[in-house]
Order: sequence, then C-alpha cells, then structure tokens
Amino acid sequence: MTLSLVLQAVFAGVTNGMVYALVGMGLAAIFKGSRVINAMQGEFSVIGAMTTVLLLTKAGWPYPAAIAGGALAGALVGAFIEVAFVRYMAKKNASEDSFLLLTIGLALTLSASILFFVGRDGHLLPPLGGEGVLIVLDAVIQFHALWLIAIGIGATLLLRAFFHRTTVGLSMMAASIDADGAATTGINVARMRTFTFVLGGVLGAAGGILVTPLIGVDYQLGLNLTLKGFAAAVLGGLTNPLGAAVGGLTLGLVESLAIIGISSSYKDVVAFSVLIVIMILMPQGILGRAGRRGG
Amino acid sequence: MSLSSIARLAGAAALVGMSAFAVQAQTSGEPIKIGAIVSATGAGAGLGIPERNGMLLAEKTINAKGGINGRPIKLIVEDDASNPDTALSKANDLLFSQKVVGLIGPSLTASTVAIGGVTHANKFPQIAFTGIGPAVEKERKCLAHVLPPQKLNAQALLEYARSIKATKVGVLHDAGYGNVVMAEIRPLADSYGVKLVAVEKFEVGATDTTTQAAKVKAAQPDALFIIATSATPFRNVKQLQMAQPVVAAIGSSSYEYVNAMGPGADNVVIPEFVVGEDPLPHQKAFVDLYKQTYNSTPKNFEAAGWDAVHVMAQAIGKAGPNATPQAICDAMRGPYSGVLANFNFSADDMTGIPLSSFVFSKLVNGKYTRTPFRIAQ
Repeated sequence: MTLSLVLQAVFAGVTNGMVYALVGMGLAAIFKGSRVINAMQGEFSVIGAMTTVLLLTKAGWPYPAAIAGGALAGALVGAFIEVAFVRYMAKKNASEDSFLLLTIGLALTLSASILFFVGRDGHLLPPLGGEGVLIVLDAVIQFHALWLIAIGIGATLLLRAFFHRTTVGLSMMAASIDADGAATTGINVARMRTFTFVLGGVLGAAGGILVTPLIGVDYQLGLNLTLKGFAAAVLGGLTNPLGAAVGGLTLGLVESLAIIGISSSYKDVVAFSVLIVIMILMPQGILGRAGRRGG
Repeated sequence: MSLSSIARLAGAAALVGMSAFAVQAQTSGEPIKIGAIVSATGAGAGLGIPERNGMLLAEKTINAKGGINGRPIKLIVEDDASNPDTALSKANDLLFSQKVVGLIGPSLTASTVAIGGVTHANKFPQIAFTGIGPAVEKERKCLAHVLPPQKLNAQALLEYARSIKATKVGVLHDAGYGNVVMAEIRPLADSYGVKLVAVEKFEVGATDTTTQAAKVKAAQPDALFIIATSATPFRNVKQLQMAQPVVAAIGSSSYEYVNAMGPGADNVVIPEFVVGEDPLPHQKAFVDLYKQTYNSTPKNFEAAGWDAVHVMAQAIGKAGPNATPQAICDAMRGPYSGVLANFNFSADDMTGIPLSSFVFSKLVNGKYTRTPFRIAQ
C-alpha cells in the first residue's frame, strides 16, 4: 500500500462522503422539522439533476440558470409533497410509519415517472472547473470534486447557522420539538413544516446536481442515494443535520479505506461492520447528544 | 410499446411488404403461435426491450415472406418484469392456455432456470437468450440459446489482450455479471500468456469505483478489462487518467451505457457481434430494415431476438405442421447462419457460436467503429 494509494482513497472517500452528507443533511433536516423519515430524499437529487440536465440540453438554458432551475424544482417538489400529502396526514395524526410508507410510495412513483417521461438513459452534466484535475503525489482529484467538497462544507455551515441564528430556523426547530408549545407562541407550525420540506428538497437537489458530473444520473439513482444518505444521517445522529455531514464523511472514508486496506471483495463487509461498531458504542449517533440540544 | 412505435412498426411492415419484397407472399390458414417471454420492465429491461424489438421485426418479415409454408406466425410476447415467478406463470399460460408450439426467451438466466420445470418436463422447444451453464446443457437438449456463454466472452477478451501483446492485465468487474465472466477468465489467462496483476470488484450499481481503479492503476497493467453492466468504472478510469487500453465485456456495449460513459468511452474496445454503424455484409439487410422501422441503430440484443424467431420458425417449418415438440427440438439442432453469429445448435453448449463470430468495436468520440481485428476460425 503506497502513500499515493491512501491519498487516492481519501480523495474518493471525502468526495463520496460529501455526497452522502448532502443527502443525509436533507433527510435529517426534514426529520428534525417534521419527524418524517423521508425515504424519497434521493429522488429530490434525481429531480434536481434531471431538471438541470433537461433545462441545459433540451431548453438550452445557460448552466448557472439550469442549476438554479434544478434547485428550484427540488424546492417545489418538496413543498408540494408537504402541502399535498404530509399536511393532510399530519392533521389526521398519522404515525411515523405511515409517513415512512408514504415517502417509500412516492419514491417508487417518482422513479417510475422519470423512467416514463425521461427514459432509461443516464445523463451527465458538465463538471464545474472543466475536466481539469489536481494531482498530488500521483493521486488524482477532479476540480469538480474539489468544488463539490467546498460547496458541501459551505452548505453544512450555512445550515448550522440557519438553525441557530435565524428566526425561521429557530421556529422550525421549536415547531418540531413541541408543536403545541410553538403554536401558542405564534409559530405557524404547518408553514414551518413546509419550509423543512423545501429545505430538504433544495439540499437533495444540490447533492444530485453536484454528483451528476461525476457519476451521472438516471431514474434508478435515487434509492441508492437515499440508502447511503440515511446511513450517513443515522450514523451522525438523525436529529442533527450537522451529524449527517460527519456521518457521511465517516461512511465515505471507511468505504474507500476498506478497499485498499483489505480487499474490494470485502468492502461492504468491512464498511458496515465498522458502522455497526459505531452504532453499538454510540447509539445516538456520533453527534447524537449535540442533536438533542438542537445541533 | 407505445402507440406511435406500433404505428411505425406497422408502417414499416407495410413498407417491407411493398418495397423490399415487391411481391408479398400470401399467407393463409390458422396462424402458428410462438410464445416469447422477455424482461420488458424491471432490471432486465435493457435486454428485454431490444430483444422484443428484434423479435417483432422478425415476425413481420417472416410473414411478409410467406410465413411458415404459407401459414402466418403469431408471436405472443409476454413481459416477466425481470421476475422469475412471473416468468413461470407466463410460461404456464403460453404453453397450456395459449398452446404455443415453441418458446423464445426469457431474457434473464434466473427466469430461464425458473421455467425449466415446465419446459423441460414437456421437452418443449425453447430458445433462450443466455445459456444456463454446461451442467444443465448436458441434460436439456430442447433448450438452445442465442447469446454467447460467458466462457466465450472471457476468451474474446483474452484473445484481444494477446493481439495487443498485453501480458499484464488488470481487471475491474462488478459482483454480478462481472463475477461470472471473471470466473471463466481466471483458469484461461495462463494459456493466453496473460498475468492478472490486479483484480478488483465493486457492487452492482456502484456509483463510484475510483479506489478500486486506483488499486488496478498501482499494479501498472499493460491493459485493463472492465466487466460490468454500468458506465461508472469507465468514467473513473478516465478520471484517474489511466492510459492503458481498455477492453470491455459485451455487457457494457449498449448505447445506454456508452452514452453515460461520457469522455470515459474514448478508445474502449468491445468484443461483440453487431456494430450497427458498420455492419458486416450478412448483417446489413437486418440493420437497414431495423433502422427503417425503429429509427434507431440495432445492436447485439436486437439481432439475438431476430435470430431466435428465425431459428424457431425454421425448425417448425422443417418439422412439419403437426410435429411433436420433440420433433421441433430435433429440427432445431443444427447449424444456422444468423445475423448475430454462425450458430450450431447441435453443439454441447446448445449455441455453438465460434470465436470467429466476434467483431471488435472501438468507441471513437462516443461512436462505435468496427476494428479490423477478427479471431481466425
């Protein structure tokens, strides 16, 4: 095992980890704001990325506008799902498992709709910073991956500031911790829940748009991202969006280091064994306690 | 199939009737029913849809030429949704309710195995797409197949490696299809003078294989085999700036994957059978007709569907109108020069495709070009 191979594994681990983190943060934000485990978080990524692809290639929009369009699509779908389904079910006091079933159903429906309307083909987006790469000690990382990591870190910090410093963020948190209490202080609980879905939709879409130049997007990508994002979120502490970032990076690095340390045949065995050990030692997730204080 | 493509198919069939075969042969009498099971939806749809397109085109063409001894054929195509249980119930329906005389498909090995209990028990003539391995093929002589066994795919990769004098070869393969082909490569590599310097695996549907590719890169191979049904490893190899020639197994030869490879497709060589952009002389009529009908370029699976229907129709014709299933099986077993390959269904592996049927395509700017390299008979 050479230093350059280790560095290559770290590059891949951090890049993948940041994608898991973005999906996981969206999942955690929605869970934090509504107690809904959103099994269609990966579909937000697919919607964001596919919309960007279509706006760029079919409608001929400039790339930045297409990206904004993709993020907006994620936000709108998020809002729509809250207003059309979640709000109604919440009024009837639906349980957490009913919401889980709802989002699983929506995930399958959206994936099938994308297959029907857009087709089976995979699509790529142009990488930010072109096809250029940075070479450190023979290990290669694309400029785009550096952008992805930088934007991921930026999104994490912004999200933390949003929940801690802004009235809307604090209100969202209050509405989720104690809905009745929040309502008596004049917080519009239903609207806050819509906001959390918008936030989750934007984060998911951003992750999808950022990952597409590296791995491509097709109708099947959503479930894959949801699973990794969910693992990241649980690992970090589901109630804490910042935890999802830590969880995502941990998962990405464990996966890629397992490949060079042991064997690619045992990658998942090693990666998931490590995750099990972490969950046994820290059942609330890596940042679980911080999560209770509001993340 | 959407309405518009049915309309196109009907239109093209009419065109075939009017132009290609200026005098359309008349068919009369009760149609001869042939059943087909493909995976038109689900994980196998990438195989099943092109196979179905090829089969339907064959049906129209055969009927336009006068059917089987004057009687038209009727293809009853069912979708197993890539699910072996569904395949089994469709097979029961086709054999016992619809009373078809022969069966084509299924697309996936798991489904083929699943319906064996029905087809083998009745010695029913069947042309599947993929083979189900030498152990079963020794027993079941009514089950032919039109796509190459994995050992042949392994040999084709190694033949190409030898032709470019690559002695150290690295392999990136997935844990499904790639595993099966890899298992055939290992015992053969030595006889081709090839040393496998790094073999790295990734799960089916992996979105990143950079670290595996980096391990292969570190072993400094002369050439790289990629055996997968996805575009991901091709992009990762390109991202790591690996300069070695890349040879890909036939599983990633579809337009769907090649389009998703982006710049990673450059100079990838694929041992396959039909290069629609530059077909071999005996493939040209099929390719032209296909393009005219579907407005897209056919590849291996379309040709396999086309050949399967022709082989079945020929066997039924040879066995005669009131033949027993066993008689049709016997009629099926023999050489057949198809669009995909020169089959010999009396061979032990129930397909008899020779290595010389492979053509080697190279992807240049995302387009398939046919290389002059062929394997001598």
